[in-house]
Amino acid sequence: MAQGFEADPCAKCEELLQPFLDRELNDAERAEAERHLDGCSYCRKRYRFEEQLRRFVRRAVVEEMSPDLKAKLAALRTPL
Amino acid sequence: MSETTPEAEPRKLAEEARDRVRFEEEALALADQVYRVARRLVSTREEAEDLMQETYARAFRSWRSYQPGTNLRAWLLRILTNLNIDRGRRLQRTPDQQPLEEGDYFLYNKLEESGDTDEERVDRRLSQDDAVVALAEVPHDFRDVIVLVDIGDFTYADAAQILDIPIGTVMSRLHRGRRILKKELAERAVGSRV
Repeated sequence: MAQGFEADPCAKCEELLQPFLDRELNDAERAEAERHLDGCSYCRKRYRFEEQLRRFVRRAVVEEMSPDLKAKLAALRTPL
Repeated sequence: MSETTPEAEPRKLAEEARDRVRFEEEALALADQVYRVARRLVSTREEAEDLMQETYARAFRSWRSYQPGTNLRAWLLRILTNLNIDRGRRLQRTPDQQPLEEGDYFLYNKLEESGDTDEERVDRRLSQDDAVVALAEVPHDFRDVIVLVDIGDFTYADAAQILDIPIGTVMSRLHRGRRILKKELAERAVGSRV
């Protein structure tokens, strides 16, 4: 069950990690998370780690299209 | 000049040909970006290449149904994900309710427990292959959303439109999918079942 920052601040901050990084929090939630992060190195480290992890996965899984496929797609165009 | 003149019909055809060529050029210019997403929606490069060709063949046939000024990349990916689903992928569908109660700090905590306190631990503990395999292990429904949002840079709203699911479902699948991904990565980083 979702709890507020008063009851268990780090659990609440963990819950907000993903919408925070996705910029999907409203202003009040964001301000609350930032206030907690300012004073909590436990959560701050974990937020920084999550950002790094996303960048790492994104870079790691990118595979570029082959020139051969590019040529095949171009050949699908309607002849003029 | 009236539309009924003999010159009107060829002019109309010429305009249409010009619009079509413009559409095809714009779609081809996006192919690299579409491919990066397609590649991670399916298991192999061959599947991704087939899917791309089917997608572009269909897009070029039905170019008139694209509304100029709207998001062409999302339009192409909508075709691509529909074709991917049509290929019978849903037969292997994994139900949404598999047990997973790990939190969002899970991977960090696992690494910390294993004695690693290096800030740059992600690159050091995980290889490129680990990331590729871990992502491939995430069940399709969750992976589709992760790939569209985290690799394709689509908004929640675009992902919802592409997959034809409510935005709330995008958010919950994204949330859950990332947790599954982190659990998979933890298994590889820490080197044992977690």
